[in-house]
Amino acid sequence: MDAKSEVLSRYNAKVFKSRKDHILRLSRSEGGSAEIAANSRAVPGIMTNRGCCYAGCKGVVVGPIRDAVTITHGPIGCGFYSWGTRRNKARAGEDGKNFIQYCFSTDMQEADIVFGGDKKLRQAIREAVEIFHPKTVFICSTCPVGLIGDDIHAVAAEAEKEFGITCAAFSCEGYKGVSQSGGHHIANNGLMKRIIGSNDTPPDAKFAINLLGEYNIGGDGWEVERILKRIGYKIVSIFTGNGSIEEISRSHLAGLNLVQCHRSINYVAEMMKSAYGMDWLKVNFIGMDAICGSLRDMAEYFDDGALKLRTEEVIAEELAAVAEDMAFFRSRLEGKTAALFVGGSRSHHYQSLLRDLGVRTVLAGYEFAHRDDYEGREVIPDIKEDADNKNIEQLEVERDPKRYRVFLSPERYAELKGRMELESYAGMIRDMPDGSYVVDDLNHFETEAFTALLRPDIFFSGIKDKYVLQKGGTLSRQLHSYDYSGPYAGFRGAVLFGRDLVMGLQAPAWRLVTPPWKRQPAETAAQGDATHA
Amino acid sequence: MSSRIVNLNVNPCKMCMPLGVVNAFYGVAGCICLLHGSQGCSTYIRRHMATHYNEPVDIASSSLTEEGTVFGGEGNLIRGLDNLIALYHPEVVAVATTCLAETIGEDVRAIVRDYLAGRPDCRVKIITVNSAGYSGTRYEGWFRALRALLEQTDADASAHAGVNVVTGPLSPADTRALKRLLRGTGLDFTLLPDISDNLDGGCGAPYSRLPAGGTPLAAIARMAGARATLEAATFVPEEASPGRLLEEKFGVPLFRLNMPVGLRDTDAFLAALEELGGSIPAEEREERARYLDAMVDAHKHVALGRAAVFGEPDLVYGLTRLCCENGLVPVVAATGADCPALKAVLEEEIRPVAENLMLQRFSVLNFADFDDIEAAVAANGANLLIGSSDGRRAAHRRNIPLVRCAFPVHDHLGGQRIRVLGYAGAMRLLDEFSNALISNLEASFRKTIRDRCFGGREGSAAAGKAAGSNRARSATHPCFSEAAGHSFARIHLPVAPDCNITCNYCVRAFDCPNESRPGVTSRVLTPDEALERFLRVRESMPSLRVAGIAGPGDALANFEATAETLRLIRREDPEVTFCLSTNGLLLPLHAARLAELSVSHVTITINAVDPVVGARIYSQAAYMGMRFRGEAAAAMLLSNQLAGLKMLTDLGVVCKVNIVLIKGVNDTHVEDVVRKVKTLGASIANIMQMIPVRGSAFEHMPMVDNKTHEALRGRCESILPQMRHCRQCRADAVGLLGEDQSIRLREAAPAALSSVPAAPGVESPVKVAVASRSGVVVDQHFGFAEQFYIYESDGLSARLLEARRVAGKNAGCGGCGNRPLPEGPEEVEAGGGKIVRALEAVADCGVVVAMRIGDSPSRQLAQKGISVFSTYDSIDKAVKDAVLRCRGAAAADSRFL
Repeated sequence: MDAKSEVLSRYNAKVFKSRKDHILRLSRSEGGSAEIAANSRAVPGIMTNRGCCYAGCKGVVVGPIRDAVTITHGPIGCGFYSWGTRRNKARAGEDGKNFIQYCFSTDMQEADIVFGGDKKLRQAIREAVEIFHPKTVFICSTCPVGLIGDDIHAVAAEAEKEFGITCAAFSCEGYKGVSQSGGHHIANNGLMKRIIGSNDTPPDAKFAINLLGEYNIGGDGWEVERILKRIGYKIVSIFTGNGSIEEISRSHLAGLNLVQCHRSINYVAEMMKSAYGMDWLKVNFIGMDAICGSLRDMAEYFDDGALKLRTEEVIAEELAAVAEDMAFFRSRLEGKTAALFVGGSRSHHYQSLLRDLGVRTVLAGYEFAHRDDYEGREVIPDIKEDADNKNIEQLEVERDPKRYRVFLSPERYAELKGRMELESYAGMIRDMPDGSYVVDDLNHFETEAFTALLRPDIFFSGIKDKYVLQKGGTLSRQLHSYDYSGPYAGFRGAVLFGRDLVMGLQAPAWRLVTPPWKRQPAETAAQGDATHA
Repeated sequence: MSSRIVNLNVNPCKMCMPLGVVNAFYGVAGCICLLHGSQGCSTYIRRHMATHYNEPVDIASSSLTEEGTVFGGEGNLIRGLDNLIALYHPEVVAVATTCLAETIGEDVRAIVRDYLAGRPDCRVKIITVNSAGYSGTRYEGWFRALRALLEQTDADASAHAGVNVVTGPLSPADTRALKRLLRGTGLDFTLLPDISDNLDGGCGAPYSRLPAGGTPLAAIARMAGARATLEAATFVPEEASPGRLLEEKFGVPLFRLNMPVGLRDTDAFLAALEELGGSIPAEEREERARYLDAMVDAHKHVALGRAAVFGEPDLVYGLTRLCCENGLVPVVAATGADCPALKAVLEEEIRPVAENLMLQRFSVLNFADFDDIEAAVAANGANLLIGSSDGRRAAHRRNIPLVRCAFPVHDHLGGQRIRVLGYAGAMRLLDEFSNALISNLEASFRKTIRDRCFGGREGSAAAGKAAGSNRARSATHPCFSEAAGHSFARIHLPVAPDCNITCNYCVRAFDCPNESRPGVTSRVLTPDEALERFLRVRESMPSLRVAGIAGPGDALANFEATAETLRLIRREDPEVTFCLSTNGLLLPLHAARLAELSVSHVTITINAVDPVVGARIYSQAAYMGMRFRGEAAAAMLLSNQLAGLKMLTDLGVVCKVNIVLIKGVNDTHVEDVVRKVKTLGASIANIMQMIPVRGSAFEHMPMVDNKTHEALRGRCESILPQMRHCRQCRADAVGLLGEDQSIRLREAAPAALSSVPAAPGVESPVKVAVASRSGVVVDQHFGFAEQFYIYESDGLSARLLEARRVAGKNAGCGGCGNRPLPEGPEEVEAGGGKIVRALEAVADCGVVVAMRIGDSPSRQLAQKGISVFSTYDSIDKAVKDAVLRCRGAAAADSRFL
């Protein structure tokens, strides 16, 4: 029995039915399917790791924008829990505004639920404007707000008129959709409707790009920025790590959108293509091969001799600078195995970096991805709509007649499309060898069961299973928050990542504790990796 | 309720009710929680608890989606219960509602009743708790959970000799300590809840998904038959009190005590145990003695502490009492919960201790957020924060240590091992408080003492005192405080005509734009006249705070006049701040006398600290009857400047150093100057671009561009604060910065341009553009002008045609240097555009009159055939003079640029 059957065998019929298509053991050479079920409702009661729509909208996409005051309209919990928990770093811009350290909430009380909270929200905005003088105020709603019917959009419109600010409301009640993913989409729609394209100051640079889906966790975005600036790119905006309204409002004037986390932000890239004609390119700045590939694709897209030359120069210099460290860490990590369970793109992105370090991925899964994140963008037309994803607004974007630009000739477009991930991404599964496991929406029990069966040396996930894993004797590294470390992106980040892994695996404490499978006769462990026997 | 505006919570000091429920149920054996609502609640709460306890925290969710909100969540809850029970085999499941379930009105009790009715074999005890996030905080959630547990457990009321001990939120380590104590008393006890193992487990035993520790359900059932309940929670709401329930329902007597934090409350707790027949272990008595000893040891440190205690009601009360019994004054005690009862008892506790140390101000805040707390911390001068790690942002901003001893601790390890209970806990806290205060004291001791006793430098105590009051005066000095520049006025008294050095950027005959000298265009006053002018201006200008002497020569080169002026004014006005600017050559001679004359602020222009560089700036210096040239002159000037600066700062005089930035001469040297003057005690530096003056040695030197200038200021900022709001005032300026009124307030017309040649006959009138803000005086720099007054003049009369705004200028901005200049290339371009727009605005004029004008615009105007005059005078006069001069003298006087 393989690990999949082993794990599923512990479920009752109903759960078995809902979970079986979310777990894959890759066996394409034997004609096995590479199709996976994803983005469907979590099974109640079995401790999904997923968050809610509000978490996706406020916590992930909107929250990192440093110069907007984001007010959580709801009871205190939601605001409190999303206060500084994502480690999205930001520094104040020239205007000195940086609200990242703040948590703003309307702190709704029982009376507000009974009599409506819009009055309180209106006052809260007034107070925020008076105290903090933001140019932009965002409102994110929580579960009860949608149910009691506070019209946050009307309040926002009023506030705009009264205070002369931009005020956008996001109806991202926690119960919408099946995970954070719905919240990303709602946030993207809001940014597209209200912010992008609201400022026509041109970037005034030859190679102007936006970096989408980079949230600057642990300073990732800053490392990527460093590399791109060295080559000569002008970064117009970053969505949304260390991002600002000022930058995002003029992002439509860049020459190319780079998409790092496709899951959370591909909507914006698509909508900007429709409205402004901007092409987008899937990139990955995690892992040497991936970075180099992405940088070369970018140079090829702009098709400029000097740029290509400079790209190669920078790549050579950067690689040389980290080569020794990387070789050393690889020597310590070669042959180790890893499991990854994060978000909607990192489980894929980090496999490139793990390969650089000689670490093999035995299991990978996403928390809130859709099928295309696993299988490649081309499956989108085949994804069936269901009640949950129909509830998230699909914005119809029209071509902006004044600002629409065509960047590539059809021939060039077709040519490039064949050579790079231009407006596409191949998904995670294609990059994983047969025999490895892909698990969507991994839960508490499955984490434990797969760990015992596959015995990865390192499990990359988040805080919720960190201590479960460590109690079991397995090294856990948080790939959401980087365990207070980072950056991991870019060339220099890769070295830090290698260092953190070696540091983790070599901790003296591990020698004093025994993982359960070494204690117990491993009847279930027979399917595990032979290197651990 | 605090004075806070209450609609916006800025940085909450509380968490929501479901978190409290889950937290308490982690102290029940074999129990797992399921939150009925959106899965985000479970995820967020797991994340927060796991980070604090560094332990697995598993909370199931019914994962309600939009469909559930419309059709009810019963189906999800039932499936959730099925799956949870099948996978975890719990003894107890706690179903707690969330905002979502409560708002849609889910009747979880009924759903669970039906659920169990349909599953007769199910042996799992399912407890339901109503816990909408908007109905209370973690504190109330904790007690609601325990109360529901007692309400819904099948009670075994048969009487027994045991004692119930119910606590509010405690750390696992504190719970363990409490258990050890209870065991030591020999009493038969039930502790509810008991999170000691489940949220602080060991490594070694196989990990169990189901929390195995905690109070067993059977023991909970027997609580109904106990002899008494001790409820160690002062502020638990009656309707949520587990002890009250046991009393009302089963007649178990309730003794409510304070949480045993600190000496008094631990004593009381032990006394209660003793009263119930427990024997207090000898080691507790020893521990008490040790704590007393520790209190004696710590008093000298903690008495200097001014604490801000924040968190949940019981803990805030306990910590406040602990602080008070140690003479550490809690100047802020705050809870984020709504607990009005807390205020009176806290005030009663704090007042005597505060009064004992002559502290008038302390704040007790209810329903507070960190915005309120931080404001109170600042207002009351707290120097120690005590509470959860959520205070770290305030701690960081205010540079105050934070002792983390409450949930949640998210940025440090050891949340599970917090100790506050009992004598041992108190001892540990006392050490932590003392050590935090000691570290802070040690880190700042030298500086504090130096500032207090030596005025920031080695020197006399009197100087130290002077330094303090002199620094305080900076707040109303427009040149030393940007804010003061908008509201306080100064008067410059031109009593010092002579100068003793020759600078290459200066032509003595004319206004020196670099060092604020008005040259010959204004009258020099005698000390008596100066006093008269001062008194007259003071009468009409209530905002006047500063009297300064800035030339037109060097204040010290005319020392007798300067000293006499100051003496006369001081006799009439004991309050006004005295300020003086000098090249510093004679400072060593006069520094002590200046301090005696109560000069509190001195500006010294120091352009170099290296004689080689200095020799390129100064051509000669007259000192003690000798004339020095070249490097000798520079060396002497520089060493006198630096020695004088040191003497002044030792005397507590606040010193500003002006540096004229000269491209290719001292531009790479300025940072060295700033570094050097910093070590000698200068408070602020003012780096100014040199404006080339026609006829001076540096006539053809280029100006440093704004971007380089600003970048340099930026680099120097890390060494010494930079003055960015300098307007390069005149030596006879009066009023607010940038709004000079000296013309209006002059007693006689200046003799400046009166010796102009007579008009050579009548000619057709010329259009003259005047850079002026007031419309009365030529008082604007050409490039900064927001508008030009366009006059028509034939040299005999002048007629105003229009006030013409410069395109694209916002009123009130004017690029007047009171904000950082632009850095990016786009903005620099825009800055250039400013000049272009000014040039466009005057394109149809034959003459431009401005107070000052840069080299490049001056050249550009000349190329267009527009004559340029730089002066400071009433518009009418300046316009006529300019036209006459323009016509009459082909050889325009080199006074004009």
